[in-house]
Amino acid sequence: MTSSQLDKMRLELRRGVLVLAVLASLKQPHYGYSLRKQLQDRGIDIDEGTLYPLVRRLAEQGLLDSEWQQAEGRERRYYLLSEHGKALLLQLTDEWQQLNSALTPLLAESEALSQSLELTQSGETE
Amino acid sequence: MELVERYVAAVQRELPEDKRQEIGRELNANIMDQLDALKEQQGQLSEDDIAAALKQMGRPRVVAYQFVPPKALVAVEDMPLLKHTLYMVLGVLFVLQVIGATTHWIGSSDGNLIRFLLQLAAGFMEDACFAFTAVVLSFAALNGTGHKLGNCQGKDWSPKDLPRADLGWQHIHLSDIFTDLATCIFLLIVIWYPLWMNPAEFAARSVTFTDTALLMLQWFSPVIVFSVLLSLWQLQQRIWNRSLLLSSIAVNAAFTLFLVVLALSGPLLQAGPAELNSLFSVMQLEKSFTYGLLITACFPGYEVVRDLIRLRQFS
Repeated sequence: MTSSQLDKMRLELRRGVLVLAVLASLKQPHYGYSLRKQLQDRGIDIDEGTLYPLVRRLAEQGLLDSEWQQAEGRERRYYLLSEHGKALLLQLTDEWQQLNSALTPLLAESEALSQSLELTQSGETE
Repeated sequence: MELVERYVAAVQRELPEDKRQEIGRELNANIMDQLDALKEQQGQLSEDDIAAALKQMGRPRVVAYQFVPPKALVAVEDMPLLKHTLYMVLGVLFVLQVIGATTHWIGSSDGNLIRFLLQLAAGFMEDACFAFTAVVLSFAALNGTGHKLGNCQGKDWSPKDLPRADLGWQHIHLSDIFTDLATCIFLLIVIWYPLWMNPAEFAARSVTFTDTALLMLQWFSPVIVFSVLLSLWQLQQRIWNRSLLLSSIAVNAAFTLFLVVLALSGPLLQAGPAELNSLFSVMQLEKSFTYGLLITACFPGYEVVRDLIRLRQFS
């Protein structure tokens, strides 16, 4: 697989998951940069060009409430999960967990298969 | 911080009027937070540091498109319908152009074939450009109002109506239908030219059909009309079935037979008094026309054989 193919597939894989990650993070109020920082700290690296427009889109869909606040001498727009967003997050979490429990054994099987293939190949080389 | 202001203003320029202020305000706040974080890491920021940070964010136009992605002129769901509409409109325009160019060609005294073809091509291109623009803009206008034509359910269908998987030829191409339609209408106009030409223009023509050839062609007109109807039927069905194949075989067999008989029952062309002096060229033209008819007869002949084979594949 070429690196561009991998990048494209990673992007597709991450797209839906990022929505879930952003919604889950916004149970607490965050402004753009603090949200990015929190996701980064949790191991989800997302560039600003993707995150800020995504947050705005979710707010436009009514999943997030937002308000401008003055802090540290500067204005910032804080986002928080709305009631509608909370309900949707519950459903999406349920969906994610079902998918995850179905995928985990599948991925374990494929991992075991690739390990046995590697063992066979190394045996043939010896 | 002037660089940040310039950057935000550049992004705002690429945004729709109603979103400029809100997105600009938010973008500015986000950039300032990012620069603050950078300042904590590196200490005081120089103008070059700020420029580098802004450059990393991307071109203002790209950033603007991330916030408000540009809309396609025609929605993806509507593309198949747009393509189909364009094919249909361009096909009809081609047939209309053939009618216009042929009547003009018949009316002109020199009957120059190259001029006819050039006029046909130029006229079609002109109409096609206008139609293409009009159709695409109509789709764009409809999409702009929030309608998606591609979401319409259309007429009911059943998997049983789908053509057989092993008969790849069963789908009838629109280009084939419109070519047949244009050819038949061209023939009808040429055959019945005495009807729409005034006697003075008719007399001025250098070379015309002989009375016998013209009479034969006129007697054959019902078959050509039937071929036009067959094309319209194909347009409605778009898939070959037994009845369409049988009709096509009958029409093509009639065309083959007629073209051979016409070629062998010369003379087919007659020259006006001025051209009698150059009789050799008229005879040469007559011979070329005869060979041309015999070669042309091969095409419907081939289609008869092809359709007979297809008919056998049906059973």
